[in-house]
Amino acid sequence: MISRYLFQALDKRAFWVAVALMVFAVLVPLLNLVVPDGHPLHVPDYLVGLLGKYLCYAMLALALDLVWGYCGILSLGHGAFFALGGYAMGMYLMRQIGDRGVYANPVLPDFMVFLNWEKLPWFWYGFDQFWFAMVMVVVVPAVLAFVLGWLAFRSRVTGVYLSIITQAMTYALLLAFFRNDMGFGGNNGLTDFKDILGFSLQSSGTRAVLFALSALALAGTLVLCSLIVRSKLGKVMIAVRDAESRTRFLGYRVEHVKLFAFVLSAMIAGLAGALYVPQVGIINPGEFAPANSIDVVIWTAVGGRGTLIGPIIGAFLVSGGKSYFTAAFPDLWLFALGGLFVIVTLFMPKGVIGLLGQLKGLASKMPRKNADKPLPAKPEAAE
Amino acid sequence: MSLKERKPLLYLDGVSVSFDGFKAINNLSMVIEKGEMRAIIGPNGAGKTTMMDIITGKTRPDEGSVFFEGDTDLTKHDEAAIANLGIGRKFQKPTVFESHTVMDNLVLSMKGKRGVFSALFHQEDAQERNSIADILEIIRLEHRKDALAADLSHGQKQWLEIGMLLAQDPKLLLVDEPVAGMTDAETVETAKLLREISRNHSVIVVEHDMSFIRDLDVKVTCLAEGAVLSEGSLAHVAADPKVIESYLGR
Amino acid sequence: MRQLRKLAVAVLLSFLAAVASTGHGKASDTSLEATISALASAKLKDRGNHIEALAATGDAQVVPFLEALAAGDVYFKKSDKTVFITRKAEGGLQLLDPLSLEEGEVVGSRSLKKVKVNNKLRRLVRGAVAGLTVQSHDAGTRLEAANALYKSQDLEALPLLKAAVAAETDETVKDAQERAIAAITLKNVKASEAERLEALGKFKAQGDQEALALVSSFLPQAKTAAESEAAALAIQSIEKSLAMWDAVENVWYGLSLGSVLLLAAIGLAITFGVMGVINMAHGEMVMLGAYTTFVVQEVIRKSFPGFFEFSLLFALPLAFLVAGGVGLAMERGIIRFLYGRPLETLLATWGVSLILQQAVRTIFGPTNKEVGNPDWMSGAFEIGGLALTANRLWILVFALVVFVVLLMVLKRTHFGLQMRAVTQNRRMAASMGIRTPWVDARTFALGSGIAGMAGVALSQISNVSPNLGQTYIIDSFMVVVFGGVGNLWGTLVGAMTLGVANKFLEPYAGAVLAKILVLVFIILFIQKKPRGLFALKGRAVDL
Ligand SMILES: Nc1ncnc2c1ncn2[C@@H]1O[C@H](COP(=O)(O)OP(=O)(O)OP(=O)(O)O)[C@@H](O)[C@H]1O
Ligand SMILES: [Mg+2]
Repeated sequence: MISRYLFQALDKRAFWVAVALMVFAVLVPLLNLVVPDGHPLHVPDYLVGLLGKYLCYAMLALALDLVWGYCGILSLGHGAFFALGGYAMGMYLMRQIGDRGVYANPVLPDFMVFLNWEKLPWFWYGFDQFWFAMVMVVVVPAVLAFVLGWLAFRSRVTGVYLSIITQAMTYALLLAFFRNDMGFGGNNGLTDFKDILGFSLQSSGTRAVLFALSALALAGTLVLCSLIVRSKLGKVMIAVRDAESRTRFLGYRVEHVKLFAFVLSAMIAGLAGALYVPQVGIINPGEFAPANSIDVVIWTAVGGRGTLIGPIIGAFLVSGGKSYFTAAFPDLWLFALGGLFVIVTLFMPKGVIGLLGQLKGLASKMPRKNADKPLPAKPEAAE
Repeated sequence: MSLKERKPLLYLDGVSVSFDGFKAINNLSMVIEKGEMRAIIGPNGAGKTTMMDIITGKTRPDEGSVFFEGDTDLTKHDEAAIANLGIGRKFQKPTVFESHTVMDNLVLSMKGKRGVFSALFHQEDAQERNSIADILEIIRLEHRKDALAADLSHGQKQWLEIGMLLAQDPKLLLVDEPVAGMTDAETVETAKLLREISRNHSVIVVEHDMSFIRDLDVKVTCLAEGAVLSEGSLAHVAADPKVIESYLGR
Repeated sequence: MRQLRKLAVAVLLSFLAAVASTGHGKASDTSLEATISALASAKLKDRGNHIEALAATGDAQVVPFLEALAAGDVYFKKSDKTVFITRKAEGGLQLLDPLSLEEGEVVGSRSLKKVKVNNKLRRLVRGAVAGLTVQSHDAGTRLEAANALYKSQDLEALPLLKAAVAAETDETVKDAQERAIAAITLKNVKASEAERLEALGKFKAQGDQEALALVSSFLPQAKTAAESEAAALAIQSIEKSLAMWDAVENVWYGLSLGSVLLLAAIGLAITFGVMGVINMAHGEMVMLGAYTTFVVQEVIRKSFPGFFEFSLLFALPLAFLVAGGVGLAMERGIIRFLYGRPLETLLATWGVSLILQQAVRTIFGPTNKEVGNPDWMSGAFEIGGLALTANRLWILVFALVVFVVLLMVLKRTHFGLQMRAVTQNRRMAASMGIRTPWVDARTFALGSGIAGMAGVALSQISNVSPNLGQTYIIDSFMVVVFGGVGNLWGTLVGAMTLGVANKFLEPYAGAVLAKILVLVFIILFIQKKPRGLFALKGRAVDL
C-alpha cells in the first residue's frame, strides 16, 4: 500500500535505489554474521565497517545535494553539521563508559578528570540518556543552520559569499573544538567508546546492526528527499536555484525556502554524523576541517548534483577511490583528487549521472539538449 | 489629501531615485485607477523599467512613496510581499524558469498560498488543472507544455511569461515590452489579449511599438528623463511638441 | 713643485704629532703601572691609598683592574712581583696584562700570590669604579655606569653622580644620571621632601614598568602626606602611560598582522575584484613564493655565499614570475572555461591547490624548510615603550609598497585602465576593442604573482611547508569579503582592521578565541553589508 504510493510519488530511480539499500541492509549483515569465514560470499568485518562509513558519507552528500543541487546554496561547511551530530553521539557514548574509564570516574569522562575538572559542564547534562542525545543529534545542527541561514538568507548573501561564510563557520568551529576548555576533549576528541545501549561496540553483531541502520537511514533520507524534490516545494527550490529574484516576484519567500532546505539538510548531516561515530569509534575536531567539507562537495559533483542518486554514487566512488589510493599509492591520492575537481568541473558538470544520460542519449541518437548544459551563467537576469 | 482618500489602485507620489548621482527617476508622480489600463512610452533610459522596479520593490526610491489601494506604502515592503499584495510583473527580458517545463512554470505561478509548508504539501486539484489548461490554450503552448522552458523561442518565452502573469491573477499587471520579438500577427494577438485582461484587471504596459499602443487604445503617459513629459490620449501625446522633440522625432 | 713640498711637510708634521701623542699615552701608562705594582706590594691597610690614587687619575683604563681586584682575580708573580689579572684556564691561571688586558702565558697557581682585599677596600673600589666610569671620557661608558647605579641604587655614589650630572653635556647620559639620582634619592632616608618630590616627578615622567615598581615600593615608606600623594599620583599616571603604550603595542602588532593579511589577500582582491574568480589556490601561490625563496637561498648558500644578504631581493622577482606563471597557466588552462560560474571556479581551483600542495610535498618533502633571515631582517629596536622587530617592520613597509605600486598600476597604466574597464562593464569593454580574455589572463597572473611575492615576505616569519597556503587562505577571504570586492582600499582597511581587532581581542580572549570572535564578527558583518565595507554599486556588479 505505502510502497505503491511511494512508487508513484518517487522518481523511479530513487525508488529502486531505496529498495536496493534496504536489501543491502539485510544482506550484508547476513553475509557477515551467518556465512562462515572463508566462504567466498563471506563479508569480512572490516568491509562492513568500511561500507557503513561510506553509507554515512552518502547521506552527507545527499544532504549537501539538497541545498546545492536543488537550491543553489553551495555550503562549504556541511562537515560541521556532520561533526556536530557526531559529537552529540560521541557525548552519549562517552557517558556510557561510566567508571570503566582509565580514571574510573563514574560521571566525568577521562579527559575531564585529566584536566582536573570537578564536575560535569552543564552542556553535558542529559547526554547519558540515549533519546536526549538523539534529539541533540538533529537539533544542534538544525539550530546552527537556522541561525546562520536566517542571518545570511535574510540579507541575501548568495553565491561565493555564502560559500565563504559557511567555510568560515566550520573553520571557527574547528578552532573552537581544538580548545581544551571547550569541554569536548580538545584535539583528541572523544574516543575509547565501550558500548551503545548496552551492546558492545566491538562485537560484530552491534556493528552489523549499525551498518543496517545506516543503510536504512540512507534509504529513508533518499525517500524523504525524493518526496520533497517532487513536491511543489521542490519546484520552488529549483526555481530559486535558477532565478532567485524572479521567484521573489512570484511572491515566494526565497529566504524561507532556502532556510527550510538548509536546516533540513543540516539535520540529515547531523544524523549521518551520529551513525558514523560509533562505527569508526572516534570523533575529533579534524572533522571540522574545511577540506573535509569540500570533499563532500566533490562527492556530490562527481556523482551528479541536482539528482538524488548522483551524490550516493559519488560518495561511494570517491571515498572508495580514496581508500584504494591511500593504501596503494599514498602519494598519488591528492593528485588524483585534485585532478578530479578540475575534470569534473570542466568536463562533467552533471557528474557520472549526466555522463550516463549523455551516453544513453548518444546511443538512441536523441540528444538530450539540457543534459550537458551548464546552469545559467547569470541567473539574476530579472530586469 | 483627497487623492489618497479616493483610493486609486496605484499612486506614485514624488518618487525620485538616483544611481551613483545619476537621477533615473526624478520627482515622478502618477495615478492609476482601478480597472484602468495605461500605456507608457518614452525614449531608452527614460526610467520606465526603473519605475516598475520601484513599484515591485526591486529598487528602493530615495524619496517619495508609492501607495497601493490607498494606504499600503509599497516602499515599505519587499518583492515577495508586494507580489502577494497582488502585483504581477513581466520583465523586459523574458525571465522564465529555464530548467522547468512550461507546465511547471505555470504551476509555480498559480495563484495560491506561497508558504514553504503549503508548497510542500500542495496537491494539484481539478480546478488548478483546468485553469492551467485554459492558460496554455490562451498562450498557445499546449503542444509544448512538457518542453523545458529553456528550449522555447524568444517569442514563446514572452508568451509563457504572459501566461505566468495570468496564472498569478494579480490585481495589477506590470508588462514591460511584451511584444518585443513578436511577429506583427502576434503583436495584434497580444494587444487583443491585454485588452481582454484589462476588463477585470488593472494593467500598466510599457512599449515602444506604436501600432501596438494604437491597438490598445488607452490613456498614454510619456516619460522622459525620469519624469512625466506628457499624458493623455495617444493622439494628444503624439501631438505634444515636447514628445515629438524627445521621443517620436519629426 | 712648491705645492708638493708643502704637502710633504704637512704629512711629516702630522706624523710627528701622532708619535708624540702615543708617547704621551705611554708615559701615563707607566705611571699607572707603577701605582698598580705599588698597590700589589703594599700592606693591606695601605692599599686604600693606592686605590684612591688610581681613582684620582680619572683614567677609565684602570676600571677592569679595579673590578678584578674587588672580585679577587688579581695576582702577582712571586718571582718578579709583576701584577696580573687572571682568569681560570686549563692547567692553571691565564695571565692578563692589568691595563691592556693582553693575554699572556698560563701559569700554575703555585707561582702566584693573590692581592687580597677586604670589604672596606671593596667598597672603596666600587666607589672608585663608579666615579671613574661616571666621569669617563667615553659617553657610552658613562651611560652604562649611570644605568648600573640606577639598578644598584648605591647610596655612596650619590655625591659622585651629582658632580657628574653637573658636568654632563650628553643629553641621554644626563637623563640616565638624573634617573639614577632619583632612584637613589627615593631610597635615601636622609633626603629632603623636596628632593623626593622631584624624584617622584622624574619617575612620573619616565612612566615605564621599572618606574612603576620603584614608586610602588617607595609608597609605603613615604614620610609626609605630600610625598604619598605625589607617589600615588605618579603611580596613577604611570599606569595610564603604560596602558597607553600597551595599546600602542597592540596597534603595532595588529598592523603587523594586518600587513601580513594584506599581503596574503591583495592578490586575491585583484582576481576576485576584476574577474569574480574565487581562487582557492591563492594560498598555494603564496606557498610557491616561499619555496622560491628557499630555493634561491639554497643556490646562494651553495654557490655564492657572499650574496646571502641579497637573497630576498633575488627571490622577489623570481617568486613573482613563478607564481605568476602558474597563475597564467591556470587561467588559460582551466579558469577561462568557467567564467560566469563562480562556484565551479571555486571547486576547480581547490583541485589545483591540492595538486600544487602535493607536488611541493613530493619535491621538497613534507617537513618545514629553513628559510634564513638576512641580517637586515633580524634584530629589534625600541621607540618609547615599544619594541619593534626588523622583520615585522620590513614586512609592513613591503606590504604598503606593494599596495601603493598596485594602486598606481591600476590608476595610471594602460593595463590598469583596461582592467578597470573590464571590471565595470565586461561587454562594453569587449566592444571597445579591449581583448578581455587577455586582460583576464594578465590580471590573474598579476594577482598570482603578487601572492608569490607575498610568499617571499611571509617566508621570513612563518614556517615554510606545503601547508603554508592553507593557513592563510581563509584569512585572505575574510579580508576581501570584509573589505569589499573591487576596491583595493577596502582590502587595505579590511586587513588592518582585522589585524588590529585580532590583537586587541587577544589579551582578553586568548589567540584562538580572538580569531573565532573575528570570524563570527565577519559572518555577522556580511549579513549587514553583503558586499563588504567598500562595495561597488550599480547593475554591473550583480555577480
Ligand atoms: N541598478 C542600476 N544601476 C545603475 N543605473 C541604473 C540602474 N537601473 C537603472 N539605471 C539607469 O537608469 C536609467 C533608466 O533605465 P531604465 O532601464 O529604467 O530605462 P527604460 O526607460 O526602461 O529604457 P528602455 O526603453 O531602453 O528599456 C538608465 O540610464 C539606466 O542606466
Ligand atoms: Mg526598459
